[in-house]
Amino acid sequence: MAVLQAFYLAFKGYTVSNKIQMDYKQLWQKVLVEMELGISNANFTTWFKDTRIVKEDGGVIVLSVPNAFVKEWLLTKYHNMILRSLRNLESSVHAVEYVVNKEESRRRDDRVQKEVGTKELPLPEVEVNKDDNLNPRYTFESFVIGPFNELAHAAAQAVIKKPGIMYNPLFIYGSTGHGKTHLIQAIGNHVKATTPSKKVYYMTSEQFGQDCMNALQNQKMNVFKEKYRKYDVLIVDDIQFFSDKQKFQEELFHLFNTLYDNNRQIIFSSDKHPHFITGLEDRLKSRLAAGMTVDIPAPDKESRIAIISAKAVQQGIVLSPEIIDYLAHSINGNIRELEGAVNSLLCQAELKGKELSMVDVRNYIKNNIKPKKTVAVKDVVRIIADFFNIKEESIYEKTRHKEVIRPRQIIMYILREDFNISYPAIGQKLGGRDHTTVIHSCEKIKTDLKQDQNLLEEINQIRGLITV
Amino acid sequence: MKIEAIKEQLEEALIKADKIVGRNASLPVLSGFYLDAKDNILTVKATNLDLGISVSVPVKVTEPGIVVVPAHIITSFVSSLSTDRNITLSTKSQVLDIKTKATKTSIKTLPSEDFPLIPEIKEDNHFSIPARDLVFGIRSVIYSAAVGSIKPELSSISITHEGEFLTFAATDSFRLAEKNIKIKKVPHFKQILIPQKNALEIIKIFDRGEEEISISIEEHQMALRSNGIYLTSRIIEGNFPDYRQIIPKESTTSAVVLKQDLINSLKTSLIFSDSFNQLSLRVSPKDKRFEIESKNSTVGESVQNVESVLEGEDISINVNHRYFTDCFQSITTDSISLSFSGQAKPIIIKGVGDTSFLYLVMPMNQS
Repeated sequence: MAVLQAFYLAFKGYTVSNKIQMDYKQLWQKVLVEMELGISNANFTTWFKDTRIVKEDGGVIVLSVPNAFVKEWLLTKYHNMILRSLRNLESSVHAVEYVVNKEESRRRDDRVQKEVGTKELPLPEVEVNKDDNLNPRYTFESFVIGPFNELAHAAAQAVIKKPGIMYNPLFIYGSTGHGKTHLIQAIGNHVKATTPSKKVYYMTSEQFGQDCMNALQNQKMNVFKEKYRKYDVLIVDDIQFFSDKQKFQEELFHLFNTLYDNNRQIIFSSDKHPHFITGLEDRLKSRLAAGMTVDIPAPDKESRIAIISAKAVQQGIVLSPEIIDYLAHSINGNIRELEGAVNSLLCQAELKGKELSMVDVRNYIKNNIKPKKTVAVKDVVRIIADFFNIKEESIYEKTRHKEVIRPRQIIMYILREDFNISYPAIGQKLGGRDHTTVIHSCEKIKTDLKQDQNLLEEINQIRGLITV
Repeated sequence: MKIEAIKEQLEEALIKADKIVGRNASLPVLSGFYLDAKDNILTVKATNLDLGISVSVPVKVTEPGIVVVPAHIITSFVSSLSTDRNITLSTKSQVLDIKTKATKTSIKTLPSEDFPLIPEIKEDNHFSIPARDLVFGIRSVIYSAAVGSIKPELSSISITHEGEFLTFAATDSFRLAEKNIKIKKVPHFKQILIPQKNALEIIKIFDRGEEEISISIEEHQMALRSNGIYLTSRIIEGNFPDYRQIIPKESTTSAVVLKQDLINSLKTSLIFSDSFNQLSLRVSPKDKRFEIESKNSTVGESVQNVESVLEGEDISINVNHRYFTDCFQSITTDSISLSFSGQAKPIIIKGVGDTSFLYLVMPMNQS
């Protein structure tokens, strides 16, 4: 019976192999059936227990095995058998590789010590590795890829393949909570795991600044310079905090040059494109933008759904598709907020001791998520008029005084860029102007922005005021 | 296969390899020795799929060959031979014949093609340490490692190095032991975590050895080589907790006692300890008393006063008897210093004048 079944499976697998990509688990199950028939039961249980396919890459199947003994044995003894049955099922397979899986070699023992009474030593959880400062939690495995970040992810992958050669420096920017830190730390963790000989270091701009300050105070600049120049991959997070800090920028500039000349990979993250970081010297700006500059925009709805599902699985909470959809719909943008929402839902579910209903979720959202940003043109006008210290009414009037023209153009520019209001609508709201006037104003500001540092700062300040 | 061997040498090799023969393995061949005779060397291999060992013995090979025989049978048999010095082993179909002057024995063999390969770790990047030091280091801390914890880092021995010292450490999160051993050569590794079970076997196999052990490391696996022995063990991937930051820097109360006095008093208090093994330590520098109290509602209670030199504030603290006494085996000096730094803080135990060993034990909750 079993023989027949195996034949049937093999036959079926063979006929469909070109059409569908069998999922790994199924494929491996079928191989296991064949192996079990071909070898003794004792051998089978000893060598094939806890094995699985972890990935397939261009016809190369990677098998995870529990320890080095199994790896060695499968390689010398069963390699051909495994390869043959895999090929019978998936004709595209041409090689098999084995990796020792550390997770599964951690045998779980039931005899876990239970000691009554004695307190535990407050051992620090192994979270951040001191040598490289990387948080091992941030890996590519836990990184959810969607349309919004696939470019950034692809750039990161390219960097991993040829660190220091492709895309150097890699500059990733995006708003808070869009996964910049996760991505750049994942690069570090990946490089560290695949080539342990490479020295990887992650730091925030603040740490760099602190280090620089200490070195200055203790007159140990040489030690400081040496420290950072020895890394093969240097990751600097939140570079925007360097703005207006001349000394740090100078140090970073020299450090950058040294690393760059030696083909060491440098990775930066920031909340803005390097050109728009205020208070950063031009020579640094141009260098930052010299490699690959990628934006991680806000996640789209599909990606948000994927992220919520992934987080829910991580936390071990079951959310119905409707709830996930609702959450993805009502929480915009920030991944941290999505994560927070899942965490609080988990907490609530635990408190109530039952699964959450749609009503609970709605209540939670109502109480905790700030409403979507809606804007009245009037408010924008008021804020900007206040900012420039002119009368609100003068914006709507047909005056052509110089001090009114600029604010009016800025208002049009902001309404267009940030709130996506149509040109004719803007014209109409601002005292019945023609839409071509509005277009001209927006273009004017755009071109001016490229040269005028002060204008850029003004606009950023205004944006800050509006969002508050 | 046909070889002639000297009994003592063969016996020693078999006994070493026998320590790690798989016991309850589903694969019968794992309970056997893989004997490989060639170039006047007999190699005895054994594995339990967690550790692998191979021991070489010089023999006279008349006919090279390979055979797998049940490990316990051949080990007990060879050990039982008392008078004979020369042993001849030869294979005939599926039987291993063993002949000495006085005996003639045949043992059934196991299929040799099923015997697993023992992973070979390259020796190009190795570090050597006297066997004595390695065993001493592991033995000084191993009792503190967790037995079968869900955190594999805690059920392993951490070996790191700093300057001219090799640091061995183990903790099960209730107590922690650390031992520093001076080394001549600087190792190439930063940290290795050896599973506690495997570390026990390493102690057994290399105990009493005077030779140097060469250690090589690869991903997931390490190898120890010395005098014809090759031992390979899985190593844990992970980070040992950074325990240095939890060692209290200052103490509020300190006590110095003679080790033997303390051990004697603890022996007495053990008789009266309750099911939680709870001991109460009352240290009172004001009254110049260091009392150890144990109570058991069904047996009775006892208070011991230990002669001591005390300093600091009065403190009363409860500890688990077993955790408290475990460390004395690693303290070589006559006097012991105990430092307390508050109710919920670990107690530090050291030998007076010995900076190489440090033991931390957490108190029990006050009830």
